[in-house]
Amino acid sequence: MSLLSFREVAKSYGVVPVLKGIDLAVEPGEVLALVGENGAGKSTLMRIAAGLAPASAGTMLFSGAPAPVTLHEAERAGIVMVHQEFCLAPHLTVAENVFLGRELTRGLFTDRKAMETKARALLAELGSAAPVRARLRDLPVSDWQMIELAKAFARQPRLILMDEPTAVLSATEAGNLFARIRAFREAGGSVIFTSHRLDEVKAIADRVAVLRDGQIVRVEATSAISEDAMAEAMVGRPLAEIYPPRRGAAPRKAFLSVAGLCAPGTVEDASLDIREGEVLGISGLVGSGRTELFEALLGLRPASCRSFVLRGRERRLPGAREAWALKLAYLTEDRKGKGLLLGKSLDQNVALTSGAIAGAAWIDRRAERRDLEAAVGRYDIRAGRLDVTAGALSGGNQQKVLIAKTLGVEPDLIVFDEPTRGVDIGAKQQIYEIIAGLAGQGKAIVVISSEMQEIVGLSDRVLVMRRGRIAGELSGEAISENDIIRFAMGLEEKGPQEEASP
Amino acid sequence: MLNKLKSLVAAGTLAVAGLASPALAADAVIGVSIPAATHGWTGGLNYHTKRTIDRMKEAFPNIDFVLATSSSATQQVNDIEDLMARNINALVVLPFESDPLTEPVKAAKAKGVFIATVDRGLAEEGIEDLYVGGDNPQYGKAAAEYFKKKFPDGGKIVVMRGIPTAIDNIRIDAFNEALKDTKIEVLDMQYANWNPDKGFEVMQDYLQRFPEIDGVWAGDDDAALGAIEAIKQADRKNVTVLGGSGMNKVIKLVMDGHDMVDADIFYPPTLIIPAIELVTMKFATQAPINGRYVLGSPLITKDNAAEYYFPDAPY
Amino acid sequence: MTDITATSAGSAASPGRSLLALLEAAGPLIALILLMLIGTAMSDSFLGAENLSNVFTRSAIIGIIAVGATFVITAGGLDLSVGSLSALVAGMTIMFMNAAAATLGDGWPLVAAGIAFSLAIGAFAGFVNGFMIVKGRVEAFIVTLGAMGIFRSVITWLADGGSISLDFSLRDAARPIYYGQVLGIAVPIIVLAVIAVIGELTLRRMRFGRHVAAIGSNRHVAFYSAIPVNRVRILTYVIQGLCVAVATVIYVPRLGAATPSTGLMWELEAIAAVIIGGTALSGGFGRIWGTIVGVLILGFISNILNLTGFISPYLNGAFQGAIIIIAVLLQRDRSQG
Repeated sequence: MSLLSFREVAKSYGVVPVLKGIDLAVEPGEVLALVGENGAGKSTLMRIAAGLAPASAGTMLFSGAPAPVTLHEAERAGIVMVHQEFCLAPHLTVAENVFLGRELTRGLFTDRKAMETKARALLAELGSAAPVRARLRDLPVSDWQMIELAKAFARQPRLILMDEPTAVLSATEAGNLFARIRAFREAGGSVIFTSHRLDEVKAIADRVAVLRDGQIVRVEATSAISEDAMAEAMVGRPLAEIYPPRRGAAPRKAFLSVAGLCAPGTVEDASLDIREGEVLGISGLVGSGRTELFEALLGLRPASCRSFVLRGRERRLPGAREAWALKLAYLTEDRKGKGLLLGKSLDQNVALTSGAIAGAAWIDRRAERRDLEAAVGRYDIRAGRLDVTAGALSGGNQQKVLIAKTLGVEPDLIVFDEPTRGVDIGAKQQIYEIIAGLAGQGKAIVVISSEMQEIVGLSDRVLVMRRGRIAGELSGEAISENDIIRFAMGLEEKGPQEEASP
Repeated sequence: MLNKLKSLVAAGTLAVAGLASPALAADAVIGVSIPAATHGWTGGLNYHTKRTIDRMKEAFPNIDFVLATSSSATQQVNDIEDLMARNINALVVLPFESDPLTEPVKAAKAKGVFIATVDRGLAEEGIEDLYVGGDNPQYGKAAAEYFKKKFPDGGKIVVMRGIPTAIDNIRIDAFNEALKDTKIEVLDMQYANWNPDKGFEVMQDYLQRFPEIDGVWAGDDDAALGAIEAIKQADRKNVTVLGGSGMNKVIKLVMDGHDMVDADIFYPPTLIIPAIELVTMKFATQAPINGRYVLGSPLITKDNAAEYYFPDAPY
Repeated sequence: MTDITATSAGSAASPGRSLLALLEAAGPLIALILLMLIGTAMSDSFLGAENLSNVFTRSAIIGIIAVGATFVITAGGLDLSVGSLSALVAGMTIMFMNAAAATLGDGWPLVAAGIAFSLAIGAFAGFVNGFMIVKGRVEAFIVTLGAMGIFRSVITWLADGGSISLDFSLRDAARPIYYGQVLGIAVPIIVLAVIAVIGELTLRRMRFGRHVAAIGSNRHVAFYSAIPVNRVRILTYVIQGLCVAVATVIYVPRLGAATPSTGLMWELEAIAAVIIGGTALSGGFGRIWGTIVGVLILGFISNILNLTGFISPYLNGAFQGAIIIIAVLLQRDRSQG
């Protein structure tokens, strides 16, 4: 008997159908992946399974009985959801968060020691060493995901639903998670997860279901379908090469050079060039200081350096506003927290930075509207109506709005920090084309990414960071995943001596 | 009564000044706890308290004073505890409210501290050794009598109440009682909190509501000043305004003759002066001072205004 | 969070949604109209021209302060010191004018100098608050709470606990500022209207106003978008200080004096007006016209209570609180991203 089965399940919001006639079954001891473009219905299906939303039609069975329809019932039945947007309390400690709502008690009082011990054990099983007494807001985002996962496992579930579980994890951490999932599967538990990372789907899932436009178009064992075939099924059309062709390796002029850049606590003695018309990839483990280095360079955090040469002229490190005025742009990895005003309209968001630098004192709403329409056309931003708030858009479209905003000042240098995180395959391709196009125009481009394939696919040159320093550099044909990983983990040294670490 | 007190104090002071030998009484510490200067009357209270303490210190250098001003009843309870910790021999206290302050003062009495209460009593009888107070019922009565005399054939008056406290209730009750069976009609009583801004607003609205107003009892002089401005702006004539408490500005108006204000009720913050001086006397000259001194609240008119006028005081 | 595109969520049941949205936006206005209907029903004098003029004029003082508060709150800040600052500005300005009368005479030049003096103090006090909060990185609540105590203490000390009065000879020159009229409309109302219009245009249509809202919406995003966050935040406090100064300039001629109870509770009234008017307390969205409506609602409440003997005066506070809660309930939760 299947653990969870959907029969003719449909869901509409008002008059708009989101899921149409889903037939799907998940067996006990199985890992099923759901893939599809944004808006295909993956998250809606997950929410119905978790009891967060009721189906508009069809039946859902859990172990043969009618499935629970509220979150509470679902959790009691053993269905637990791990959210893409964390449901954690930043002011509480790790242990408190893991047991949020289900605190362990000793008589009348919460048993803090027991919670801490159990939390530590759960996290260790996931390969995380996050300190259980630390407050959440003091920890990096990847720890948050681990804690969210520990929270799920603490509830001793039979079925775990995960929405983009590895979006913020490094390769190592994802590996730890997969090991835990495998152990869970051995013990008879099942997992349904959504992901944009098709390589991970191949690595961990037993079967994959591809959703397109609210319907399941293919269900296969993952061993029987290639990543390209999955991507094609998602998009419904054959894919050209995902990554745009590399440009020639002609010698390029240095646009910006910095030596001895230091940001207290995160970046030490970094020296690098950024060249015109080149895509410089920045790789390294999470926490190696990639974001911090470029934030330091562009005035977004306190920093110092020995020398800074921009467009051939020596000057001091710019402040945040100065950097933008100098046509140096930074596209943040945190599009919701640092990139867009989610409650404000699209045209306001797109115009925000260019307005702050060069805008007139009086706002020209019509011009902003025109700029938004142009951006929608140029970047294929899909928003049902143009007067919605930024928060109403899907991840991929939000990212495009952020790109439109960043490019609005017509910069000469653009640092893309995790440009395709949480973005579906179709939008990813579009963003890659934008990046390649900018490089083709002679702009200096930097791409920071935790997706190895992306770095390898896009970059003309790669810098690898480790523990706040630049550990190595690779160019052109020499760029390979292997070499990048070796530098990232300190197995090969170039430059300052470091102790070899396992 | 007041004059008797004054002569006693004068005699005591002369006696000490006349004697060549140093301090008669043992060293003593007198604690003084009063409300902070939140409105005109308490402003005057603080002014006179400080001046009196300074004068007493100069006259009797062997007696120490500790002054604490509080902005609420709860803070005053804390202040009294702090004063106790400084080993005071006597406590002169003007309680914010009688009820909450009764226990702490009782505790002080139990430790042998001499208790003098000013203006307001405590919830229980017999705790204080000395009481110096105003006459709140007489205050209300004096206002009523004023209007009765002003409008012997009846008239329409509006009333402004003060801050909702026991004192306000006593005055208003006495006022209402005295107006029973007269032809004076009280049109309404709203709260103006003894505040000039509120007095202005309430008066403006009264003028809108009642086309005929003969007199206004504003509760005290602060509110009266606000009421006067409102009447002036509305250009209404023949309105009599009565305040209370003896603010120097208003007394000046009475002295110089004003078309709206020709009287005031005596209820000054200077009543703290005899309280402090008497307690000082107890320790300086061992003068017998226990008792209850109720200072009268007479009506101030042009004839006697000069006696009550302190131009340099803040109130 | 779901990945539903705007196509599916946004277009459902459009006409119903936009009517509801309109109702929410007009919430404070509806509350005001309801209140005015209640007033008309309960008292004949309510709708009289003189009564309305009185209430509008009285409300102008809190209204001008509340316009400044709208900027501060929209940027995510808070200023509790406005009432005490008013008292301080009033007292010091009166002292200044009394002293300067010897050299400047007792006519318009003196009044103009007094106004300039007030604005200077107000702006300076606002700047100090802003500096401590933004550069000193101390919570706005704490800084302005402390300032509140300091300002009032200083004025009480300067006044020796009593009131500070404008010399009688100078009162006539200053009187028209409160009691005067231009084309039949009281001066304070005109000043309030001008300030409200400038405020609304600035907040809605000028770059500065947009930056204020962006900072209140998400300070990090504002920083990462090249907005001069510190400068804008400090400026909102300076604007608040200037508004307090203007309000005080209007207030002083009414009674010709500053007393220890001047400005008491004004900060709460101003902030209440801002919230009733629809500005989010957490920042990010500001509505000046809403603030003005809020001020009028507060003014009318106390006016109606005075005009009717219906409610026992003991219950005035309860009545006021209930109306405020109802007014806020009529608009939905405005705390957006």
